[in-house]
Amino acid sequence: MSPIRFALPSKGRIQEEMNKFFSSAGIKITKSGGQRTYIGGFKNYSDIEITFLSASEIAKELHKGNVHLGLTGLDLINELDSKKTNKVVSLLELGFSKANVVAAVPNSWIDVSNMKDLAEVSKDFIKLHDRRLRVATKFESLTRNFFLKNNINSYRIVESTGATEGAPSAGTAEMITDITESGTTLEANNLKVLDDGIILKSEACIFGSFGMNWKSVDLENIKKLLRILSAKSNAISHTEITFNYDQRINNLDIELYRNFKSFFLNQSFTLGNDVSLITPNNQVAVCSEFLISKGYGTIKINKPDFIYKSNDESWEKLLSNL
Amino acid sequence: MDKSVNDIINALGGTGNLANLLGVNPSAVSNYRRKGFPARLHLKIIALCEEYSIPINDNLFDGAKISLNTIKKTTTESLVNTSHSILNNLSSDNYEVIDPPILVSADKILDRLGESIADKLYIFSQHDGVRVCLRPDLTIPTCLYYLDHGYTGEKKLFSYFGKVFQFHGEDSNEAFEYSQAGIESIGDKDKINSDVEVFSKISNALQEEGLKNYNTYFGDVSLFREFIKVLDIADLWKEKLLEKFWNDNEFKDLLLTISKKKRISDDFSRKIYSLDKESAEDLVRGTINAVDESSYAGRSVEEITDRLRQKGEEFSIDPLSSTTEKLIREFLSISDQPLKALDELKKLCKSLDRSLLEKIEETIARFEKIQNLGVNFSKAIFSPEKGRDVEYYTGFLFDFVGKSNSESLYIGGGGRYDGLIKSLGSKLSIPAVGAALNMKRVERFSNLESLR
Repeated sequence: MSPIRFALPSKGRIQEEMNKFFSSAGIKITKSGGQRTYIGGFKNYSDIEITFLSASEIAKELHKGNVHLGLTGLDLINELDSKKTNKVVSLLELGFSKANVVAAVPNSWIDVSNMKDLAEVSKDFIKLHDRRLRVATKFESLTRNFFLKNNINSYRIVESTGATEGAPSAGTAEMITDITESGTTLEANNLKVLDDGIILKSEACIFGSFGMNWKSVDLENIKKLLRILSAKSNAISHTEITFNYDQRINNLDIELYRNFKSFFLNQSFTLGNDVSLITPNNQVAVCSEFLISKGYGTIKINKPDFIYKSNDESWEKLLSNL
Repeated sequence: MDKSVNDIINALGGTGNLANLLGVNPSAVSNYRRKGFPARLHLKIIALCEEYSIPINDNLFDGAKISLNTIKKTTTESLVNTSHSILNNLSSDNYEVIDPPILVSADKILDRLGESIADKLYIFSQHDGVRVCLRPDLTIPTCLYYLDHGYTGEKKLFSYFGKVFQFHGEDSNEAFEYSQAGIESIGDKDKINSDVEVFSKISNALQEEGLKNYNTYFGDVSLFREFIKVLDIADLWKEKLLEKFWNDNEFKDLLLTISKKKRISDDFSRKIYSLDKESAEDLVRGTINAVDESSYAGRSVEEITDRLRQKGEEFSIDPLSSTTEKLIREFLSISDQPLKALDELKKLCKSLDRSLLEKIEETIARFEKIQNLGVNFSKAIFSPEKGRDVEYYTGFLFDFVGKSNSESLYIGGGGRYDGLIKSLGSKLSIPAVGAALNMKRVERFSNLESLR
């Protein structure tokens, strides 16, 4: 049996956030031969060999099929994978390093607020300036696909390797597409995000590369590792709502799932017992309101540390791709 | 006996005559006398020397580091293996055979075709940082060839047979490189005749290849342009309809919106529209609150104001009448055998301005000429909306679609592109029409037919 090759980020904010995530899940990363080396493993999960690389290198290595698994940003994977081959599959969304890839134009373009406006302006631009509108970006592929979807073809991409948001004021491009967490850098550079200009909602994920040979590896430890990471990431993105099931309402579970993507931990309901409802964080308020409107009394809200589901979706995704 | 470059030029009739034979300027030939023949002309010179029985020596072509024998061998081989008869057919009647460079400036292609084709191009950087790409077709390289040879509107007829390169994604069954055979007629001011000539030449070539089972889809985007021009509607609607013509969905959306009175009002743009130009610009300047012009990032206050005025104007002009809207829909829905379709079009537009009817008559004349050359229209369709997906053509256009029991595939096509050469850097606008065949598909369908 050969070890599973797992690439983790070696630097940057994504590494810091990953370390925090792993330690909150009780998982310890060991580095063989001191802090400066670029190989390591997980304590208590043998047969997994960690390679530390930069997040963008990890995306490339996954695509080349040089590692089985990799932790990196969805933006980097999709930028390489815009032609949508299914060789690299996201197994687990980890809920950190959240940021959006967006299309932004100068604040002074007060006549432009959405992609439709931009389509019109791009066509006028070539008539008025005798050249095409320039878009500075490091996400060439994502941008091309997004603009194509919005029926915009009259533009040119200007490759940018850093400080993209400065391109319009430097005069090297008229607008940009870039990744942003809060939008403050864009604001500081007098840029605004178009209303429907979100190209991609990105976050850190664990990806599997299925161009690799998975036949000769032992999957037992990966199964365990994925399970605890899923449980942790479920807990981060979800909240537990506890209430007393003191009246019977038919199809309550179906309705809660449909409207709020919420599900019960208990499978059977006994009248008068407390039941636990797992709800996405952003649905907690509306979901509680809903329960109150149905006549349920005291509602308790907890933030669990781990939520294990009976079937781990990330593991199932991995299996279905083998 | 050794022959120097000068001897060959003299034997071929001197500077002027050779310039004519090669289709280059005499000054270029004078240059050859000093510097020798450029590599791209070697094949042609050899061919001419053979034609005029002038003995030549290998040494003459040292610059290309290729021995004469290899050139001869590969020439015959490639003719046998690939182009067989088609290049002979396409190069008859004074069509000059050219082989434009395979490497093209990536910026020229992208500037011309727009960024969305970039995913299909093989782009790479040279050592000097210049981005080049493998030619995705032969039309643009042919136009560049025309310009590079110093032509400025002279009539030239070109034919070619060569590889083109397009990336279709890892999972695609489509070929990433295949041979394209085609012709381009550049600078011919007699548009009707050159349209007819190009069509009949390429369609003859296709039939000589043994292809019979295919459909031809004709269009002429200039008819729609003329149609919109003569409609009795606001200029702004005309502008918008012409702009959105190239995208069916957006066009439908537009037609819906401008056929209704606008309800949601945009106060700011209405205000801008109500002001005179200067006050409107001042208001915009104040709203932007920018100190210097440079912070407007590429678009001037005037430009932004104009667009806002236009938006404001939309609220104040009349929507399209339901009769006009219906007329536009009917115009675009016509689709029939060419002469029938044009007849329907004529009936539909009989009450409109004469200039449109003249244009339709002109199109009819074109098809009658094609028919008189022996082309059968039983498997041909004409529709006025054909060609709207390629924002490239300016008039007459056509597609050949091969049919078998299991599939129906594009095998070639062409049309008039009067705007292209100017957009590639010519000062003058030069009319041009051309057509090309995907030889991989042509061979596939002709093999299928011979099996049948």
